[in-house]
Amino acid sequence: MKTLYKLSALLIVLAVCGVAAYFYFAPGKSRLTLHDATVKEVRDMARLCTVEIYEEVPVRGHVGDRHLIAREVLVGNISFDIDNLTFDTSADTIRVSLPREIVEVRESTEPGSYTVIDNWNDKFMGSSVITVEEENKMKQLTLESFIRAVYRKGYVRRARAEAVANLTAMLGSLTGKPVIVTDPTPEGYPAK
Amino acid sequence: MLLLSLPFLLASCADDTKGRIVSEIKSVNKLQLSQMTISKLATIDDLRLNDAENLKQGVMALGDAMKVGNRVAAYSYDTYLTAYIDLSTLLPDDVRIDDHARTITIDLPAIQTEFSGRDLGINEVHYRVTGLRSEIDARERAEIKEKMNTALKKEVEEKPFFRDRLVSSAKAKAQTFFSSLLGGGDEGYSVIVNFKN
Repeated sequence: MKTLYKLSALLIVLAVCGVAAYFYFAPGKSRLTLHDATVKEVRDMARLCTVEIYEEVPVRGHVGDRHLIAREVLVGNISFDIDNLTFDTSADTIRVSLPREIVEVRESTEPGSYTVIDNWNDKFMGSSVITVEEENKMKQLTLESFIRAVYRKGYVRRARAEAVANLTAMLGSLTGKPVIVTDPTPEGYPAK
Repeated sequence: MLLLSLPFLLASCADDTKGRIVSEIKSVNKLQLSQMTISKLATIDDLRLNDAENLKQGVMALGDAMKVGNRVAAYSYDTYLTAYIDLSTLLPDDVRIDDHARTITIDLPAIQTEFSGRDLGINEVHYRVTGLRSEIDARERAEIKEKMNTALKKEVEEKPFFRDRLVSSAKAKAQTFFSSLLGGGDEGYSVIVNFKN
């Protein structure tokens, strides 16, 4: 009788383990469906890119008592549209004026480029949920502040100086003529 | 207690950031020729019993069916893929002028492609969370975006269509750009653009 009890207990334990193992190893199903990527647009351009930026920034913001703090990796570049350059070829020397810079900053596609560190409500039991619009606005403010810093830190000045050198070398080697590239605004065109 | 643990916390933070770049500015000499905008969509929904392929999925679907309310949402955002040539590898010998044949031949560096980032924000295409279901918060959205990003990069790697289309567009642009730049003079030279491998 005692052996029967032991055997039954062993069978129950084995059955429980079997069910647990099944639920652990059987393929589950995600509630998230990832649809195929689609090409929205293919745009031609001729942009001389002279500086690339990579920076990890904090995203901080609050809406009333709800707060969000996150970490975001931004990537960007400073480039110049050389598709519509105006050349002065009246003399033997080619003269070109450096156009306005294009500062393009986006979120990196490297893994873990946007992670939420904390999200809370100051009020006890208050909802801490930040809506998409609120979060996107916080990110937009972070981006605007980052672009201002790009000008303040002299990245644009450096990009313009390098564009003058690179454009001179490129046009010189392509045309075989002396080239003078002038920069009317070495500090660039910061947003007002 | 907090003061005592502070040095350990700081040390662990320092270890975490060791070897990781947090800020970098790099000089490059690239000519960007084409940019592709790729859109990715993801949806969240409860599991359905009809779609269950095994007992585990059936139990999960049953669990979802017993919950009070719905939890359905759709999110999308754009990622950018850029085609460029590295002008720092362009040599003076790469441009040859044949006065007899009235042609200018230019051997451009190979066209390369790279991901040039994604939208900062995410578009909420649809959101319907009702009853006693939990809201989709910022942390969950960040995780969804991460999964979408991983899937998109894998898709672009596995399907050559994306890069092929971008490269062919970039080649056409390079042809137009350099022809107009070099052949625009009074001499009327025709321009032949080749790409190195």
